[in-house]
Amino acid sequence: MPSIQKTFHVTKNDFIHAGEASIHVKNLLKSLNYVPDLVRRVAICGYEAEMNLVMHGGDGELSVDVNADRIIVDVIDHGQGIADVELAMQEGYSTAKDEYREMGFGAGMGLPNIKKNSDEMVITSEQGNGTHVKMVFFNKGLNV
Amino acid sequence: MKDEKGGPAHCFVHFESDLCTGCGHCIKRCPTKAIRVRNNKAVIRHSLCIGCGECIRICENGAITASTSELDSLHSDKITIALVSPVLYSQFPGVLPKDVLLGLKNMGFTHAVDMSYYFEMFQWATAEYISRNRKTGESPWPLISPVCPVVLRLIVCRFPSLLPHVHPIMRPVALMARDVMSQFKAHYKIEDHDILLYYINPCPSKMGIPKKELGQGGIHSTGALGINDIYAELSRQIKHTEKSDKIPFAQAGFEYEQCTSGGGLLWSMSGGEAEATGLDKTLAVAGLNETITYLEKIELGLFNDIEYIEFRTCREGCIGGALNAVDKYLAKSAALKMAKTLGVGTRLNRERVLRLYDSNWFFPKISPQELKKLGGKKEKTFSFDELRKIEEIVGIIDGKDCGACGSPDCRTFAEDILRGDASPHECVYLKIRGITDENILKKIKS
Ligand SMILES: Nc1ncnc2c1ncn2[C@@H]1O[C@H](COP(=O)(O)OP(=O)(O)OP(=O)(O)O)[C@@H](O)[C@H]1O
Ligand code: SF4
Ligand SMILES: [Mg+2]
Repeated sequence: MPSIQKTFHVTKNDFIHAGEASIHVKNLLKSLNYVPDLVRRVAICGYEAEMNLVMHGGDGELSVDVNADRIIVDVIDHGQGIADVELAMQEGYSTAKDEYREMGFGAGMGLPNIKKNSDEMVITSEQGNGTHVKMVFFNKGLNV
Repeated sequence: MKDEKGGPAHCFVHFESDLCTGCGHCIKRCPTKAIRVRNNKAVIRHSLCIGCGECIRICENGAITASTSELDSLHSDKITIALVSPVLYSQFPGVLPKDVLLGLKNMGFTHAVDMSYYFEMFQWATAEYISRNRKTGESPWPLISPVCPVVLRLIVCRFPSLLPHVHPIMRPVALMARDVMSQFKAHYKIEDHDILLYYINPCPSKMGIPKKELGQGGIHSTGALGINDIYAELSRQIKHTEKSDKIPFAQAGFEYEQCTSGGGLLWSMSGGEAEATGLDKTLAVAGLNETITYLEKIELGLFNDIEYIEFRTCREGCIGGALNAVDKYLAKSAALKMAKTLGVGTRLNRERVLRLYDSNWFFPKISPQELKKLGGKKEKTFSFDELRKIEEIVGIIDGKDCGACGSPDCRTFAEDILRGDASPHECVYLKIRGITDENILKKIKS
């Protein structure tokens, strides 16, 4: 089955460009005519993971692999990693610095939101060794 | 690609090929990628044009003009009514709005009606809708202002998933056209077709207010005149008065030709509408790129803690419209001074507005689905396989978005090839590398 892959570099602490990778992915899916609800879910999840990379992680990339059946988004960074993934997944848990809270982040809702809006989600992370968030979305609407 | 002959509803700009040098500046400016250079001349696909006026602004050769109406009917036996956007006053520093309106009558309009009253109506209805929406959750936050028609067409064309966010109250100009028509019809005891409405406005929209938007009831769509179309003649007609005889708000009765207010002038600038809602959780965004950036972000699920966003695709708001005669910063200073002179306040009777609200006076009589068709078309999407080929061609070109091919960027060029609208040999990058039409076309067929 034909597929399209794309990779975007994302830089830690770069709030000016933060979100652009997710916008690219969203627009790619829009041009492929996926149903709006699927596009919305991918966009929201991609954005949360991208912002986590920018705020908590380190330099890395957001990649997308699309075919007619499913969309896979991988957000991989080479930052400090997450010590306790289960804890991080809990609603309201956040280690965001005050300056980020002032910008409206740090509700501890990002990862739970990804969980809610994706069909599959796997976080692989180790303290000191970066973080990999893998998200899978199935295309049940089949507009493609 | 041919300069498509769209219906009149899809012709906001006109390209004069004799004046066009084929420089290609306009193709890069177009937010919907509607323009190409073909055979050394710019051509536009009208079906994609949203009437933003960016190409008019950028063209140094005067080859692009707005398709506004002709004024020849002013001296016919019909009743002609100018619907006046307060932006017009900002073009005449120091002149009182009532004198501008008088100038229009001296030009030959039977009546000239100011829009401020309808801004206030809209404002009340908006506050009411928002407070009800907090309970019903009928529309998703943030609501997007329907006032700038270019924003609406941009949403239809590039962000259709945001259509549910569009604030469902009729635009002030549509409320105005409908009301003015019915009032004057009753006053003169004549039929619709004996009255001609002209919307005097700062942006390219030949069609003025489409009939559909006015709802049923047989109202004819209105004509539209660019401010720069009438500026010279109007300047001649206006008697410059130094006297600043204020129009007191106590005169609350709806006096057609005297209904100007400072509040109306504030609406002509970015932030005026948002401020007028009286709400806390609002934003005002102005400029085409800024608008697009925000729409992208709303599509990412951001700003859902904001209740209302005022968008204007022109910088500084409507005073920055492409068809104004005066520079936007001069206009801004004039508008602010005049707003101070006239004073800002509200004149409407809230009970009456609420009664109208509950009788659905503020809501368009057509379904949201139909509203979507009011111009600005969604570009045809590609199949998965086609898109993969487009990606592949973009990779082979490996260019610099130079635009020498006549398409705005490499990706659009690749799309044009797939549409059968461009040939690979038009790309200098492919030519240098000796990649022929056949090489590429073989890829496409595979
Ligand atoms: N890429 C990452 N690298 C390191 N730590 C991370 C990363 N992603 C998440 N975390 C940790 O997990 C916590 C929870 O993340 P989550 O996205 O749920 O909330 P948040 O980012 O703190 O707040 P919000 O997303 O609501 O703005 C973060 O505070 C952080 O400690
Ligand atoms: S800007 Fe566009 S319309 Fe104007 S001369 Fe250049 S190519 Fe022609
Ligand atoms: Mg987060």
